[in-house]
Amino acid sequence: MNYALLLLQMTITLFLGGSAVSLILGGKKHASLVIFSLSAAASLCAIAFASNQFLSDGPTRFSFKEIFPLVGFDVLVDNTCAFFIFLIGVISLAVSVYSIGYAKKYGKISSFGFLFNFFIVSMILVTVSNNVFSFLIFWELMSLTSFFLVIYEHESQNNRKAAINYLVMTHFGTAFIATAFLLSFVQTGSFSFDSFRQLGSNSIFKDAIFVFALIGFGTKAGMMPFHTWLPQAHPAAPSNVSALMSAVMLKIAIYGMMRFLFDFNNISSPDNAWWGLLMIAFGAVSSVFGILYAVVEKDIKRGLAFSSIENVGLIFMGLGLTVVFASYDLRALSAFALMATMYHVINHAIFKSLLFMGAGSVQFATHTKDMEKLGGLIKKMPWTALLFLIGCLAISGLPPFNGFVSEWMLLQSFLLTSQVPDTLLQISIAIASLAFALTIGISVATFVRLFGISFLSKPRSELAAHIREVPRSMLAGKSIVAALAIILGIMPFVGINLVSISFGLSGVQANPFAPLVSDTHDPIYASISMPTVLILLGCVSVGAFGFVRAIGGKTQKITSSTWDCGFGSLSERMQYTASSVSYPLRIIFRFLFRPTLQIQKELEHSSSNYEKRSVALTQSTEDIFEQKLYRSIISASIAFFGKIRLVQTGKVNAYVLYVMLILVVLLIYVRLQ
Amino acid sequence: MTLDLISVAIGIIQTLVLVVLAPLLTGIMRKTKARTQKRIGSSILQPYYDMIKLMKKDEVVSESSSWIFRASPWINFVSVVAAACFVPVMIFYSPFGLAGDLLVVIGLFGLGRFFTLLAGLDVASSFGGLGSSREMMVSALIEPALFITVFALSLTLGGTNLSTMVESATHSTVLAPSIIFAAISLFIIILAETGRLPFDNPATHLELTMMHEATILEYSGKGLALVEWSQSIKQIVLFGLFVNLFVPFGISTAESFAILGIGLMFFVAKTAFLSIFIAFIETKVAKWRLFRVPDLISMAVASSIIGVIFFYLK
Repeated sequence: MNYALLLLQMTITLFLGGSAVSLILGGKKHASLVIFSLSAAASLCAIAFASNQFLSDGPTRFSFKEIFPLVGFDVLVDNTCAFFIFLIGVISLAVSVYSIGYAKKYGKISSFGFLFNFFIVSMILVTVSNNVFSFLIFWELMSLTSFFLVIYEHESQNNRKAAINYLVMTHFGTAFIATAFLLSFVQTGSFSFDSFRQLGSNSIFKDAIFVFALIGFGTKAGMMPFHTWLPQAHPAAPSNVSALMSAVMLKIAIYGMMRFLFDFNNISSPDNAWWGLLMIAFGAVSSVFGILYAVVEKDIKRGLAFSSIENVGLIFMGLGLTVVFASYDLRALSAFALMATMYHVINHAIFKSLLFMGAGSVQFATHTKDMEKLGGLIKKMPWTALLFLIGCLAISGLPPFNGFVSEWMLLQSFLLTSQVPDTLLQISIAIASLAFALTIGISVATFVRLFGISFLSKPRSELAAHIREVPRSMLAGKSIVAALAIILGIMPFVGINLVSISFGLSGVQANPFAPLVSDTHDPIYASISMPTVLILLGCVSVGAFGFVRAIGGKTQKITSSTWDCGFGSLSERMQYTASSVSYPLRIIFRFLFRPTLQIQKELEHSSSNYEKRSVALTQSTEDIFEQKLYRSIISASIAFFGKIRLVQTGKVNAYVLYVMLILVVLLIYVRLQ
Repeated sequence: MTLDLISVAIGIIQTLVLVVLAPLLTGIMRKTKARTQKRIGSSILQPYYDMIKLMKKDEVVSESSSWIFRASPWINFVSVVAAACFVPVMIFYSPFGLAGDLLVVIGLFGLGRFFTLLAGLDVASSFGGLGSSREMMVSALIEPALFITVFALSLTLGGTNLSTMVESATHSTVLAPSIIFAAISLFIIILAETGRLPFDNPATHLELTMMHEATILEYSGKGLALVEWSQSIKQIVLFGLFVNLFVPFGISTAESFAILGIGLMFFVAKTAFLSIFIAFIETKVAKWRLFRVPDLISMAVASSIIGVIFFYLK
């Protein structure tokens, strides 16, 4: 009995069933419960399908001739594929549970449920595709369904603009991916991925394919400078969709990149080292600039979107290091760097979906995502606050949460570059590691600010003052990923084993206490054992509590007002705001943000400058990539098309003239022949 | 380095030494400052008296704060003490060394700082926000300097595992240039991390100059005692790392009582000397303007980068 086929069919059928049911039931009272339970069940099937693949011996193949009669739909499921399907399954399970409550925000959800299910199933089908056509078709399906989901709240002008931008950029990426595939096709004469795996070693072609694939998949992943769609599309989309897009869809782009890098290529010569270096450079730019834009952002979801760019940057740096090590044939180090990268892929999926769902809960309760209007949510929404805090700690890379483990491994991979036998490369990577460290430092600041301003202190507006905790299903969805963030932080061997099995690495650990070492030849070089760290933390806290109690005895806590320097009546308007907290960083990196400050004064009397009736203050920052790079490209192309207009007048007589001219030219040409 | 009873005992003793001696170092620094300013100053044991007194007092908690404010001193203290477990003091290794390296120590400090910064934002006063905002800036910018210093050190000393690092520091006889540059950088980082002049003035309550003090302004009683204590433990851990990595002279290499005692004496003497030196520097410099601080940090970054390049080019 072939379980794999059955489970795959069940997954697809359940998702499609969810789509169908939502079209039928859309407006009914308990529609969201039915629809999203179906997608949760489908996600469980996807997890089962992936686990089944991990347990089986080799890759599984199916062929569905009947779906695409011309080219067929070849399915190849290897462990790499199963890894990403597992990830999709876990995240979409959590998001589906969350959506049961969240979808109540929208009355009629027929089209939403339809698109939501279709979006997830198309991502799964992209990963299992084994030929160019089905890959591109499902890739396009994934892009289009996500486009419609981004534009779902189409009442707002901004959302429509964001969605159109996304549509353009995603097709820009697809064009590059298609070109990469076509170049491979030119080499092999077949559209099957199997033939790409035996691709010859024509290096110029391979380099070209690599660059096209990097730009194509990089655009989808949000790599700078092709990221402009991301900080617009993620905030525009409903929060459960942003969670899926950021946590999973970006990873599908990483999956595509992995296929090109490690499956269709066999990197083992120093000639390929520049591939790695290029990816490290792109990664460094994305991570530093991404997090710097996140730290000044006032819109919670936009801040999270910029932080996704940052994390994609970290992942690209990790992939780059893997390639550099592989090209110098340092197999063990390459495996370690790959493990670090893939661990970060899992982690980012987990904490970013958690944070987006948290931001969605905030929006659900307060109807705003502007940090300047929030504050004090921790008292009204204690569980959301706790779960959001876990997400913030994890993404800041602090022990004992999962972000720390993968960032530790990535930092160690940077240190291991001392074994690469090329001084120039060593020094450049050492300098790139500065970008990595700066990113980590600023991400702590970003998430302290994000949590501190939105959840702590006093409410900054009426919106945040009268609110209630979100429905239980939303909390349940977030708890699933929050639990995973903790488990992967204190028991890294779970993640290590998952990654090792998925990518065929030799790092399977049986003992949870065994230290995680970076260099297996030199175990005392660096090692950590997170369970031991946790036990130490536990012992110390018991000891500290006992000691302080013994010395100080039992004391009381008296609640009083915050110290106000004796002036009295501290109001919530005197608190630090989101903009003031990030002010020092904004000033230091002002070349990036070009902060503008506009003060409009309305005077009481025109004679005196000092008595003001009202003062309006507008502060804004801008994305220099968008301003400098894209604006100039757009204005250049508008100018170019303006020139074309001289010929393309739109008058029928002119076109008749062109036809006649061409005819005359052709006649003369034939005559001369 | 097996995890037998003796080595675990040594590890616990080392941690306790750090925890117990930490306020003394603060006392020494205050005394030095007083003396260089021609004051008599309070006894070097004053920080202990203060702490015991504070622990017996009731706490006043702001009504606009949440559980984060109340939990923060505890989390901070626990993470800093846990970080102290990984640091070799009088013998060249720590039995917990395999469980956590230098990056774990940095990570645990980061955990403590995360909650301190949140507590600053939690009390809804401008002081807390001001302190958090500035401390956030310095800690974000210090991170690359710190990592590249770790990079330079790990290249020269063979790893980020603190036991390995201190051990190879004790065995090396030649002073490598990369180590010298890393030492310059680490010194600047220590000034920034422990909130010393020219970054921050630990002895002020003026809003224009304070950073750390503003963040913890609302604390009182037990909470304040814990905050002060964790700050001084963090200080002694960083000083200890500095002296053991760059001047490992006198550290014990065998597990006998006499040699361990000598090692402890050397450790106390070296850290005391370092703290007197830093306190002396503090009386000689003024606090820098906030936006000049990045210049000093970039000097630290540049210094360690030079250290790394020296190592690779040798």
